[in-house]
Amino acid sequence: MKLEIKDIRKSFSENQVLKGISLEAESGKACGLLGRNGAGKTTTIRILMNVFPADSGEVLLDGRPIDYSTVRFGYLPEERGLYPKKKIAEQLIYFAELKGMTHRDAVTSVDFWLDRLGMTEHRNKRLDTLSKGNQQKIQLITALAHDPQIVILDEPFSGLDPVNAMLLKDIVKEQIQKGKIVLFSSHQMNYIEEFCDSIAILNQGTIVLAGDLNTIRRNYPRNRLVVRSEQQDAIRRFLGAGCTEQENGSLLITLASPEEKQDVMQRLTEKFDIDEIKVFEPSLNDIFVEYAGDQNKEENA
Amino acid sequence: MKQFSKIFKFELKNYLTNKIFVGVTLFLVVVIAGVMFFPRVREALGPKDPTVPESSSPAEGMTDGADSAHDAPVMLLVCSEEEQALLKDAFAGAFPRYRIVFSDDDIEEIKRMITSEEAECAFVLDGLTSYTYYVNNLSMYDSGTSIADSILQNVYQMRAMLNSGMTAQQAQDVLSVEIEHEEQSLGKDQAKNFFYTYIMIFALYMVIILYGQMVATNVATEKSSRAMELLITSANPVSMMFGKVLASCCAGLIQLVAVFGSSLLFFQMNQDYWVGNEMVSSMFGMPVDLFVYMLIFFVLGFFIYAFLYGAIGSTASKLEDINTSVMPITLLFVFAFLVVMFSMSSGNVDTVLMKVCSFIPFTSPMAMFTRLAMSTVPLYEVVISIALLLVSVIGVGVLSAKIYRVGVLLYGTPPKIGAILKAIRKS
Repeated sequence: MKLEIKDIRKSFSENQVLKGISLEAESGKACGLLGRNGAGKTTTIRILMNVFPADSGEVLLDGRPIDYSTVRFGYLPEERGLYPKKKIAEQLIYFAELKGMTHRDAVTSVDFWLDRLGMTEHRNKRLDTLSKGNQQKIQLITALAHDPQIVILDEPFSGLDPVNAMLLKDIVKEQIQKGKIVLFSSHQMNYIEEFCDSIAILNQGTIVLAGDLNTIRRNYPRNRLVVRSEQQDAIRRFLGAGCTEQENGSLLITLASPEEKQDVMQRLTEKFDIDEIKVFEPSLNDIFVEYAGDQNKEENA
Repeated sequence: MKQFSKIFKFELKNYLTNKIFVGVTLFLVVVIAGVMFFPRVREALGPKDPTVPESSSPAEGMTDGADSAHDAPVMLLVCSEEEQALLKDAFAGAFPRYRIVFSDDDIEEIKRMITSEEAECAFVLDGLTSYTYYVNNLSMYDSGTSIADSILQNVYQMRAMLNSGMTAQQAQDVLSVEIEHEEQSLGKDQAKNFFYTYIMIFALYMVIILYGQMVATNVATEKSSRAMELLITSANPVSMMFGKVLASCCAGLIQLVAVFGSSLLFFQMNQDYWVGNEMVSSMFGMPVDLFVYMLIFFVLGFFIYAFLYGAIGSTASKLEDINTSVMPITLLFVFAFLVVMFSMSSGNVDTVLMKVCSFIPFTSPMAMFTRLAMSTVPLYEVVISIALLLVSVIGVGVLSAKIYRVGVLLYGTPPKIGAILKAIRKS
């Protein structure tokens, strides 16, 4: 399956929130939807899920307009919340039934997921008796219990301890392996890097960068080197301008052109005691700050 | 449709498992049982009822020496000797509750006795046609003067007739002549219908106000707990709205059936003890066609308000906002209630205002029902009223589902009506 969002536009009163969003996501792959707060991620997700229609643009599944009566979405909203006073299993079954499951299937599935997440003992407790992290796990079940084809996870890792985060990672990987379309929205870049094959960065209602994460990285100019050495001061004196020290203590060397890099690497390894030398590839964090932050600076200027 | 039934079941179960809902219903049933069984219990426990009139002797008040008479409140009578003879038996018979004491004290002494509660009241006669009535606190229901008026009138007429040569027997016959009459109402008997109309209107009022608030609170709670984020992506807003409103209507009806059903049952069980109580017997003698009308207007009236309450609940972000947001609807409803109540107590339910109100969808459930119960309404008017109401219910239902769809995603201060309508037109 291939999910496409084409040139979606949406305004609320006079405020244009989405100014032509296009996105693609495929079965068995995860797509990361990035953007600063208020960039338009939730609006995009809501339009995708048909909570309200777009002013223009379309959502296609395998090239045809999506049929919401047959496609099952699983959604973990960023604003978490269920019925605090209701018994856990009762409301999970209700939500699964709302998504079209029969009562029997819903019970089976909910029990499976409670077991999978180690929450079976809380089955008949009220939701508000659980800790925040456990409530989050219950909320995750509402997104997965009805076996959706498209899974949308908004900040799934916030509030989870490392053990639970690991459990969730396994589950997300499993969903991807099962051939589901997974849309991922998070500010925790390390998770996006770990799961997502492609990303889209939203900034003020437009996609400023989209595509395969590795390709994006490779498309960065390869004229920078990262060097770790005991003799970093000597290296700086040797190379002169173009050397800056990074936050992690390593030295970032910007070259005039990518062609020089082979030559410079050779000279440095011959002359100095080098622990590590490699071509600089930006982290997702760097990319995000560059694309999502820049326009903001322009706007402020 | 499947979604709707799931939502309906879930919401209805919420009501029926709610401890307060169950508690209030049981409480009402117990209270009604208490009232309905009261005469039976009273009869079983107390052998003789002292307030039953037949056991009280009219002469009792006059015998100063009788022990029981000392407990009775004192009524002072100030008049001439001749008048005393005429009035003695008449007053004693008309005021069996009092011990009648003739006095010739002056006015100040009489006043003192009354304010110091040695006597409860006093009649100071200037003659047979004029007197002053003294009493400490004049009760709203004090009928002392009207009774005294008729006694004095009677005595005066009697004396006049005797003086003009009639025999005592003749005069007695003239004065005590009884007119036979029979009432036949060709339409409705207002006096008879008044009580159950009153009770039904009041039940409608209570149920709509209470359940309307519950629907609004229910929606706002889902919104404030953010369960809405998930609901709105899981279910269609029209199903959500109709499911909630229908469930609350059902819960309301279940409660009413429990309350009225049990009272009917208890009444049947104790029917013999209520013979002679017009009010209670008339309540359970409601004609079937009126009952059907009541159900129609009840359900439709409930819907139209519950939809509005639901829509308003969806625009509130916090539970605290609800009370102010629902004010306009509550006021509209209270207005309808007051119009109906005033026309009912004025005895004329066919005023222009009532006629107009019985066609306006928001007031017609109560106004038309009242007219049906207490007057004769042409069938075409009833059909038009119900049709208008039905169309409005559907219209308001769809509109409120739209408001709901827009409203539930708006957080912050409750939006203005204009902003909501604009958003609806766009979506």
